[in-house]
Amino acid sequence: MDWTKQLGRYVVIMLLQVLLFDQLQLWGVCHPYIYVLCLLMLPITMPHNVEMLIGASAGLIMDIFCNSLGVHMAACILLMFIRPYLLGAIVNDKERLNEQISLRAIGMEALLKYVIILVLIHHLTVFSLAAWSWHYIGFVLLETIISSFITISIVIGYNAMKYK
Amino acid sequence: MQNLLKILLRYSNFLVFIALEVAAFLLISMNNAYPRSSLLSTANEFIAWQHAQISEITGYFSLRSQNEQLAAENAALLNQIYSMDSARNEVVFLCNHAKVVQMTTDRLHNYLTINRGSKDGLQRGQGIINEEGVVGIVKTVGRNYSVAIPLISTYTNLSCRFAKNDYICALKWDGKDNRFAQLTEVSAHMVVNPGDTVITSGLTPVFPEGIPVGIVESSTLKEGDSYHTIRVRLSTNFKRLKYVKIVQNPHQTELEDLENGLD
Repeated sequence: MDWTKQLGRYVVIMLLQVLLFDQLQLWGVCHPYIYVLCLLMLPITMPHNVEMLIGASAGLIMDIFCNSLGVHMAACILLMFIRPYLLGAIVNDKERLNEQISLRAIGMEALLKYVIILVLIHHLTVFSLAAWSWHYIGFVLLETIISSFITISIVIGYNAMKYK
Repeated sequence: MQNLLKILLRYSNFLVFIALEVAAFLLISMNNAYPRSSLLSTANEFIAWQHAQISEITGYFSLRSQNEQLAAENAALLNQIYSMDSARNEVVFLCNHAKVVQMTTDRLHNYLTINRGSKDGLQRGQGIINEEGVVGIVKTVGRNYSVAIPLISTYTNLSCRFAKNDYICALKWDGKDNRFAQLTEVSAHMVVNPGDTVITSGLTPVFPEGIPVGIVESSTLKEGDSYHTIRVRLSTNFKRLKYVKIVQNPHQTELEDLENGLD
């Protein structure tokens, strides 16, 4: 696996996240966290424990930028924990999972399922933990749906672009 | 023993998952225990520096409105010189023009980062105001930068009073609109009219008495309720916040010593 490539993508995506997407203030309900793209597109050649540690560090770095210590970390660990099980469930041809997760490798249907489910779980976890109260449940759900829609579009768009 | 090791190895993924999540939740609960300071935050030098750079660039786009704001501030200061009231006299400003380098206004727990820190004498719990009114309270202090909780945070619980009759009440924020907050603890017998001015009470050492908080926008009293539901238009425009002042209570240590002596 090409580590420099992965790290380079992470730096670029984090810059976009902090400089552009964190500055968006659309009606107070749109906070897309596009940095999950790096976690979703990580090849699955590493041990599961290492994946979760990578998730924890990526979440912690995001938390420092958001003043929300622990929130993104918890969501990213959950995402990385579920990831291999979910992939096992939705991808029939296990041979194709050997290195890369891409449109070419697993096909549009599986990729859509994979991205939608994991982004929804991640965003819902982040927003509910940040609210830290049942009082705001309606607001949290609305925030999750709108923000996830944007994140999912960007992740799918990124994959479609690479496919060409 | 060997069996135990086998079991541990077999479920190691799940155990690592649980251990990491416990660590994350410990961090969350530590950070949520306001006003305890957080370890990692935008008070961190590098992060704050990066936000300061962004604000440096975007600052050019709002020069016109900033000029207007400064002019209005000058006028207000001149007015104050001519009509010094005794309450304001006691206010000591630690620094007069801290710059807001980063601020959110559209979340449930908003925060702002200012470019003043422990080297300027800032301490946790000091009040922040601007020429419009109350802004917030300092939460975490770094060497050069600090993070503060603005009024528009669901953590807010500010002691206020009505200017017209000195009735004491508390200000809270419901997380919805950054222009409006809510007043609680106003009994039904009190007459509240739209347009009533709400100011700081002076009961806590954080803010001196008489700093503007907001103006009553609407108040409703349902049958059988013992408290009014009051919506207050905040004096401070958080969307356009650029420069703030830090309030220092000259008697802070004395007051704290007195309160500690009570226990």
